[in-house]
Amino acid sequence: MTTTHMIVLPGDTIPASSLPISTNPNKALTLGPGLRHIPPNTIKATISGALTTDVRKNATWIEYNSGRYQPSPSDLVIAIIASSVSESYTCTLTPYAPPTTLPHLSFESATKKTRPVLPLQSLVYARILPFSRYTTPELTCIDPSTGKADGLGPLKGGMVFDISLAMARRLLAGAKGGVMVLEMLAEKLVFEVAVGRNGVIWVEGGNVTVTLKVGMAVQEVDRGGLGVEGQRALVEKVLRGL
Amino acid sequence: MAPQALLSHLHRADGSATYSEKGYTIIGSVNGPVEVQRRDELPEEAAIDVNVRPAAGIGSPNERHLETLIQATLRHVILVQNFPRTLIQVTLQVRSLPEEQSTGNGSAILKSSLMLLPHLLNTALLALLSASIPLSTTLTSTVVMILSSGKLLCSPSSADLVRAQSIQSVHVFAFSAQKSLLLAESQGEFDIDEWDEACELAEDICCKETGVAVDEMDVDGKPENLEGFLRDVVREKVEKEQMWKTAP
Repeated sequence: MTTTHMIVLPGDTIPASSLPISTNPNKALTLGPGLRHIPPNTIKATISGALTTDVRKNATWIEYNSGRYQPSPSDLVIAIIASSVSESYTCTLTPYAPPTTLPHLSFESATKKTRPVLPLQSLVYARILPFSRYTTPELTCIDPSTGKADGLGPLKGGMVFDISLAMARRLLAGAKGGVMVLEMLAEKLVFEVAVGRNGVIWVEGGNVTVTLKVGMAVQEVDRGGLGVEGQRALVEKVLRGL
Repeated sequence: MAPQALLSHLHRADGSATYSEKGYTIIGSVNGPVEVQRRDELPEEAAIDVNVRPAAGIGSPNERHLETLIQATLRHVILVQNFPRTLIQVTLQVRSLPEEQSTGNGSAILKSSLMLLPHLLNTALLALLSASIPLSTTLTSTVVMILSSGKLLCSPSSADLVRAQSIQSVHVFAFSAQKSLLLAESQGEFDIDEWDEACELAEDICCKETGVAVDEMDVDGKPENLEGFLRDVVREKVEKEQMWKTAP
């Protein structure tokens, strides 16, 4: 259960009445993006947006949708290979951002002899490993516990489309995000997508028409802030044009 | 006329804002955190790069001076420790100036770059809000003039300036939302009492009123509260972003 409370500006102190009251007193309060804790018990906003709380998770965060993607651990991202050094690739998540590294051996069943050789500018779907803000983030294409790819790895063919950061979060949130456009299109079309938290969606539809239609439909939903009905109308229009 | 703002309208920048007030129009854009050149890199915090571009021609020492002032102020507002070894780039392009500044009529004090400073600071803050850069507080800035008659003029419009006979001094103040003074720049002749009075007036205009009635001072055209203006702009931005939640 998430509820949106109020609109905050950086520097605003969050009143105790707006914080979630958990049924379990032993559960610590979790602060999400846009909030900082100043000991002993002041919580301040650092970005402008809507203060949102989740009572079940005892969490609070600020919902916003602007600015550059900032890497955070365990995010799924679509990275571009910028260069290859002795034991790792250097990747970029957003243009001009500090580079991240992707070791050559962090692909499924990769050894020194069988590692995938990726040309520059190719795309990989990867997960961000825990990092400190003083180091460059590291990416991986395998689940560290099982050693399996789980859908991560190089993305072949297809096209990428830029979407807003909130749209990427909504697409990854499933039904909660309220994006039905992909499900609706999938009733008639066959395509593959990968959503990166860095505001990128990769679409492979077999042919250019399908790829473009799907990608542009998602962008349209993002730009227009369409609800479920709006999305249905859009999908009908897209399918009619095919 | 109340200030006007437009947020996130440049799609290639991470954050952008156009701010217009009293004939000044400034476009601000923020990019960051981005990769920093090795020689500018700071190991513990983000480097801030401010670029001020005049309405016509190329930048002069005037603009460099403004850049230094803005950079020093923003450094205390942005949570620079969150992004070590990166760069936050702020570009401020002056688009239009009120007539008496662009034509070069009027006294030397009017042509000074100080008149531009509060508008640049307000634009920079709006652009930072648009770029969702973590800030420790918000900032509002205004200019106060002291006339030789002892009268105070707060962020005067061009009509006010034509009527005003002679200007003794110009003061620029910037306040955080917690009412702490972040920047004070003055030019002209004044004493400490006059400065105090000017500072108090600027605080009333910049910061949120706490319900206590402010003494009616000898002020021409008192603009609305800047803090309240900032809140309205942000509310509009958030409502636009959350449109999908209520859309059919």
